[in-house]
Amino acid sequence: MSDPPPDRPGHGPHRYEIRVDGHLSPRWAAWFGDLTLTAMSDGTTVLRGPAVDQAALHGLLRKVRDAGLPLLCVTQVGLAPPTPPPPIPDDPHAGE
Amino acid sequence: MAGPLVETKLFIPRPRRGTVVRHRLSERLNRGAQTRLTLLSAPAGFGKTTLLAQWLADAAADRRPVAWLSLDESDGQPTPFWTYVLTALQRAVPGLGAGVLPLMQTAQPPVEAVLSTVINELSAVPDDIHVVLDDYHLVDGPGIQAGMTFLLEHLPPQVHLLISTRADPALPLARLRARGELVEIRAANLRFTLDEVAAYFNEASGLNLAKKDLAALEGRTEGWAAALQLAALSLRGRADVAGFIAGFTGDNRYIVDYLVEEVLRRQPDHIREFLLQTSVLDRLTGPLCDAVTARNDGRAMLESLERANLFVIPLDDNRQWYRYHHLFADVLRTHLRDERRDDLPDLHLRASRWYDQNGEPLPAVRHSLAAGDVEHAAGLIELAIPALRRNRQEGAIRGWIDAVPDAVVRVRPVLAAGFAGALMMTGEFEGVEERLRDAEQWLEEPTTDLSGAPAPAPAAGMVVLDEQELARLPGTIQLYRAALELARGDAVATVRHAQSAIERSADDDHLTRSAASALSGLTFWGGGDLGAAHAAYSASIQGLRRVGHVSDVLGCSITLADIRIAQGRLDEALRTYQEALRLAAADAGPEPRGTADMYVGMSQIAHERDDLDTAAAHLSRSREIGEHAGLPQNAYRWRVAMARIREARGDLGGALQLLDEAQRVYTGDLSPNVRPIPALHARMLAAHGQVGEALSWTRDQHLSADDDLSYLREYEHITLARVLLAQYAADRSEVSLDGATRLLERLLTAAQEGGRGGSAIEILVLQALAHHARGNTPAALETLGHALSLAEPAGYVRVFTDEGPSMTTLLRAIAPSRASSTYVRRLLAARERADGTSSVGDRGNTSANQATHRVQGLLEPLSERERDVLRMLGTDLDGPAIARQLFVSLNTLRTHTKNIYAKLGVSSRREAVRRAGELGLP
Repeated sequence: MSDPPPDRPGHGPHRYEIRVDGHLSPRWAAWFGDLTLTAMSDGTTVLRGPAVDQAALHGLLRKVRDAGLPLLCVTQVGLAPPTPPPPIPDDPHAGE
Repeated sequence: MAGPLVETKLFIPRPRRGTVVRHRLSERLNRGAQTRLTLLSAPAGFGKTTLLAQWLADAAADRRPVAWLSLDESDGQPTPFWTYVLTALQRAVPGLGAGVLPLMQTAQPPVEAVLSTVINELSAVPDDIHVVLDDYHLVDGPGIQAGMTFLLEHLPPQVHLLISTRADPALPLARLRARGELVEIRAANLRFTLDEVAAYFNEASGLNLAKKDLAALEGRTEGWAAALQLAALSLRGRADVAGFIAGFTGDNRYIVDYLVEEVLRRQPDHIREFLLQTSVLDRLTGPLCDAVTARNDGRAMLESLERANLFVIPLDDNRQWYRYHHLFADVLRTHLRDERRDDLPDLHLRASRWYDQNGEPLPAVRHSLAAGDVEHAAGLIELAIPALRRNRQEGAIRGWIDAVPDAVVRVRPVLAAGFAGALMMTGEFEGVEERLRDAEQWLEEPTTDLSGAPAPAPAAGMVVLDEQELARLPGTIQLYRAALELARGDAVATVRHAQSAIERSADDDHLTRSAASALSGLTFWGGGDLGAAHAAYSASIQGLRRVGHVSDVLGCSITLADIRIAQGRLDEALRTYQEALRLAAADAGPEPRGTADMYVGMSQIAHERDDLDTAAAHLSRSREIGEHAGLPQNAYRWRVAMARIREARGDLGGALQLLDEAQRVYTGDLSPNVRPIPALHARMLAAHGQVGEALSWTRDQHLSADDDLSYLREYEHITLARVLLAQYAADRSEVSLDGATRLLERLLTAAQEGGRGGSAIEILVLQALAHHARGNTPAALETLGHALSLAEPAGYVRVFTDEGPSMTTLLRAIAPSRASSTYVRRLLAARERADGTSSVGDRGNTSANQATHRVQGLLEPLSERERDVLRMLGTDLDGPAIARQLFVSLNTLRTHTKNIYAKLGVSSRREAVRRAGELGLP
């Protein structure tokens, strides 16, 4: 028996972007299971990672909740990623 | 629950110094104090616990009883959760639920039954009680949801539940809200207002900030308590207040990152170091911190952190246990992971070692797994399994199975078998076989060495920590295999493995031997081999008594008695229950589970012997002891027994309703369901002339008179025979009567071959009725006589008297011929009572009175002997046959007959029978 193809939106593993308020220190990357954290020019942080299923996504959201981070949005990322505000290349805290 | 309760979780936190009293929220809580549920739902760091602690300190001043429980992740299963809730309640109301608390220590605790008892006890408490569940989000889930909803729905009015959580719980909030039974305090309420910010910084923290600085802080933190607290710490002793506030408010960084860094930067190295290293711990105490930091200032450090308000929260009154504020701990951990990733395993291992040395296996395993040292964890788990299994904490073991790689388990036979057992106990059978094979490969049977050489050394590569369990392993593995085969439905293999488990276990390993005996007993029973089943269960009970497992003895006693009942040995069944009760009574403490079941069993026997008052009294007693003293099956068994009493008392509607209820609460166990409730339902319908419904049940079950017979379906097949007889009575269809006759014949053979005397009696009774229906009275009487001979020693009554007027006729006909006629007269009296009842329809009148009434219709009443003769005249027997039946000469019979004709004013046998019918005499 093989797993059914993840053809329906929202079911099989997908890539997600989680946006939270405030610029997160990069050290949180490990806490979130090695997600990439990108500080955005609008004062938010976008968390990106490999494709995860629903259960893993909820696990991540729980971590966001437990860290007290204000959650702004969760987006499923398809083949054509939405265009977020550009990262700030010279963010003074990005490399901390 | 393995090990002692964690006391600190029951500790009501004291209000901390330097906090602001928030009157608007206290008022809201006061409102909540009148209602069913108060929900504090807000993200981390919003001051939920602080608010509750403050408010309760006032409540404590009023001497209101408070039950407090700080939950953690390990409390998400029914057993730990409800054990803690009940213990917390006992702190508030001493003695509350003391009788039911031990019931939670089972794999599937009877949560609703326990809660019902607790709710009853709570409603008797005069004071208002506040029950606080702090950090409820850590346990919210399917494990406890049903119980919590039940508790909420039935909460007495003076009991108030307060739940603090980071996420709305899966409870019927909308319903409570609609009924006005919910007070909510959410993030928007918890945010500090500007006035509260001012009070916090200027009064409580003594910082004297300017109004615009306060406004800036309030704006940047959005009134978030954790951020305000961090800001106050950062500001303490700082000269350039305005500069700090400007930097803070002008920064985009996540507010906690910014502030914790500020706070940490200002700590001396040794404190910063301590904070980072101990952040791996969920709970902090001096010696544990010392173990982790390899220093010896743990206790002093914790006390000074508490004095400095550095996010440690005391968990008790004597400064033993603390924890970090959740949010602060999370940030500390990100720092630790970032700066010292390589130190992490070592810190966790030290924590694991400390917990292990202090007898707390659960956190020891958790830290060991966090350290990534699965070998060490595997060893800890192996040693922890026996105690966890004894305390029915298989759930904890199950949780670890996925965390330990197969390769590590494979070389550890004791662990592999332990995992297999935990899987089966939690209802999983996949992967069990594999684990058992892993364990078994290390236990190749040592070839019998005639020279008496010592057993070969353990195989190289095998890892065993628990030598004692290793010695038990050959028996244990066979036992698990037997259970696995039972689940697969392979009876032969079950018995083979169970037998082999007994052979391979030590003489004093009573638990393995008892369990194996019970498994083979179960299999024999299902196969209809009652003798073997009885022997196996007796052996099991003996072993269980030796190890003091009283509840299990009671459970096996039900089976043992059921076997005796099927064998037709009611006395022995009764003795089994009585012995079990004596054992239960000798047990110190509350009635063990299963006690209530014994009374239900005794009630069934009293019912069969037509002692309905005793039967009803036993059921009342069973109920008085309480559902918590009953095994899961007692709920339906009690209702079935009560339904039969109702039926016997003429309340068919009530009886059928109880049977429906019984079916709803039916819980199967491993025992075969040899008397299915729907079959009893169909019997009652058929007995009361509702043949159509009963027939449709037989069709739904695909029952046919020509089915292959097995003990498991015997009750259903006998029911089918009853339904067919009822159908014949209704429509005189020969097919039904033929079918019933054919089926009963085969059923009788099967019952006799299987040694099921109880079944045989019932089948013979039905055969007699079938003969009677066919008009073959001699055959009917002969068969009935056989049934009576079998039934009299055990004192059966209702198997005869539950049948209709045909049975009255047959009993009357047979009475004179029986050597010991007391028994038959007793049956006949009961039967006549029943006929009187149904013909007059007035249950209040005794049948004796009615009989007298009718007899008075005669100028000269019939003598006892004349009545006997009159009864025989109603049969198909000819004169000589009647004379033989009554043990009189033909002449004497003629004299009696003449007298009867005269008294009745008739001149022929046919007229006499008709007249007797009119007078209600025969």
